[in-house]
Amino acid sequence: MIVGKKISAVINAPKAKGFWQNAYRRFWHNKFAMASLLLILILALLCVFVPMFSQFSYYKPDFTGSLQSPNLVHFFGTDGLGRDLFVRSFIGGRITFEIAFAATVVVLIIGVLYGSIAGFLGGRIDSLMMRFVDVLYGVPFLFFSILLLTLFGQSLMLSFVAIAAISWLDMARVVRGQTLSLKHKEFVEAATVCGVSKWKIITRHIIPNLMGVVVVYAALVVPNMIVLSAVLSFFGLGVMEPMTSWGLLISDGSQNMDSWWLLLFPAILMTSTLLAFAFVVNGLRDALDPR
Amino acid sequence: MIKFIIKRMLIAIPTMLTIIFLVFLLVHATPGNPFQGERALSPEVIKQLLHQYRLDLPLWKQFILYVNDLLHGDFGLSYKFLGQSINALIFPDYVGGFWVTLRLAVYAMIFTVPLGIVFGCYAGLYRNSWFDRLVVTCNMFFSAVPTIVTGPLFVFILAVLLHVLPASGWGDGDFKHIFLPVFVLTLAYAPTVAFVTRGSIIDVLNSNFIRTARAKGLPTKSIIFKHAIKPTLIPVVSLLGPMFAGVLVGAIVTEQVFALPGLGILTTNGATNRDYNLVLGITIFGSFLTIVFNFMVDILYFFLDPKIKQ
Repeated sequence: MIVGKKISAVINAPKAKGFWQNAYRRFWHNKFAMASLLLILILALLCVFVPMFSQFSYYKPDFTGSLQSPNLVHFFGTDGLGRDLFVRSFIGGRITFEIAFAATVVVLIIGVLYGSIAGFLGGRIDSLMMRFVDVLYGVPFLFFSILLLTLFGQSLMLSFVAIAAISWLDMARVVRGQTLSLKHKEFVEAATVCGVSKWKIITRHIIPNLMGVVVVYAALVVPNMIVLSAVLSFFGLGVMEPMTSWGLLISDGSQNMDSWWLLLFPAILMTSTLLAFAFVVNGLRDALDPR
Repeated sequence: MIKFIIKRMLIAIPTMLTIIFLVFLLVHATPGNPFQGERALSPEVIKQLLHQYRLDLPLWKQFILYVNDLLHGDFGLSYKFLGQSINALIFPDYVGGFWVTLRLAVYAMIFTVPLGIVFGCYAGLYRNSWFDRLVVTCNMFFSAVPTIVTGPLFVFILAVLLHVLPASGWGDGDFKHIFLPVFVLTLAYAPTVAFVTRGSIIDVLNSNFIRTARAKGLPTKSIIFKHAIKPTLIPVVSLLGPMFAGVLVGAIVTEQVFALPGLGILTTNGATNRDYNLVLGITIFGSFLTIVFNFMVDILYFFLDPKIKQ
């Protein structure tokens, strides 16, 4: 017995680590990705708390102090109506993040279910379902979004859910491909032999094993939605005054370039967010999909 | 060859029809008619208008008539500009509409493709040099940051700070007015082309037939220009079709930034005035272009890649 103890103390065999633990460790060691994630978190926290605790409101005009350049009271200056740009930037960020995350959740749900069902069932159903995806690919995305916003214009959230409902195509394709490769793995066949229902196999065995790819794609969808909401602001659609978004702020700032701060601060915020997401996506890809 | 084209056509036509059906249904599913609420029109006038716009017919009849119009190249009438045909708005006799968008997109492509390919090849040939890293970084930056951010920033630097170029407007389409939009568009798309070319040429240079050519003692120049170029371009070509469609859309967005009188303004007007027919027409026109480009690229691909022929 004593010998056995000694040996186990000497060898100290490494524990087998799970997929997620490995991924987590790889991501942790990616400095760019970690810093970017931190930046996104900080920005998100600022978006939540700055409008809450600021002494200024984002909608009340103050005509005595319009177009002040950045100073110690108004960190980002004020706009043409004398509203504090610091607060407006972060309330705009809040809306932008809200839209992007809501749309991403919808994309996730539809894309994962559609792709895994198509991939798992296979055969004619699969080819029919993917044919439909091919058709939707032909729709010019921007015009379709504009059309949807014109139709559902009253409710911003509703229109973005509608937009998300046509942007799950990539997700569905990737998930389907992954499902096809999982379908003939032993554990799925074992489940089939045991008489587990198809729906249960998809939800209990296929989808949990897809999560690696899904996380990477979800992280890609968020910045795409941020960009889309900003582009739509340039078309005068989406968020309406006095509420604002980064796209709307940039659009307003580019109308009035003599007051440089109106353009520069929202542009910097948006650029850094988008770049941070790009680094996070890269990091996630390296961590979850090592080749 | 002809079989291949027919096969592609057989895919493209139902796709187009489905898109038209979906979009049409979506627009016509909205409650109310477009003439409510604007000005107080007398019931007779509204009835007359509904008749003129075929809105008094059952939906399936409207759809068939609409598709029939589309086959004759007619996008129907605008709701907002009463009686004006949408064709005259999209393809006007004056400078504007699609012509501005097309010119912008074509100019951007003229710069994007050669610059992207040359820079990409150069970066791939001198892998890990500073130039290669620049190409990779640019790709990362410009595929993350859209033109609506880079555009205003360039305007701010070049027009407001340095006063070298006008900030916006089409002018009469002269170099000074058109330079910045084209430049911004090129910057948005050329890095992607360069990045794909770079990856492709790195793959090709590592392949067996290049090694053979090297082993035979061919000079590097003829290896690159005679053997490596063609297979390098295959993935690039498949990128170009969707990309040109993308550049057209990008041009529309860029128009918004630079206040150019193209399809973008038309879409905005259509959207803000709830001119469904106009937005419907532009959407269908856009999908038509996308499908046509993909079709053309498939055929080009067929010529470039002998593997497809089997």
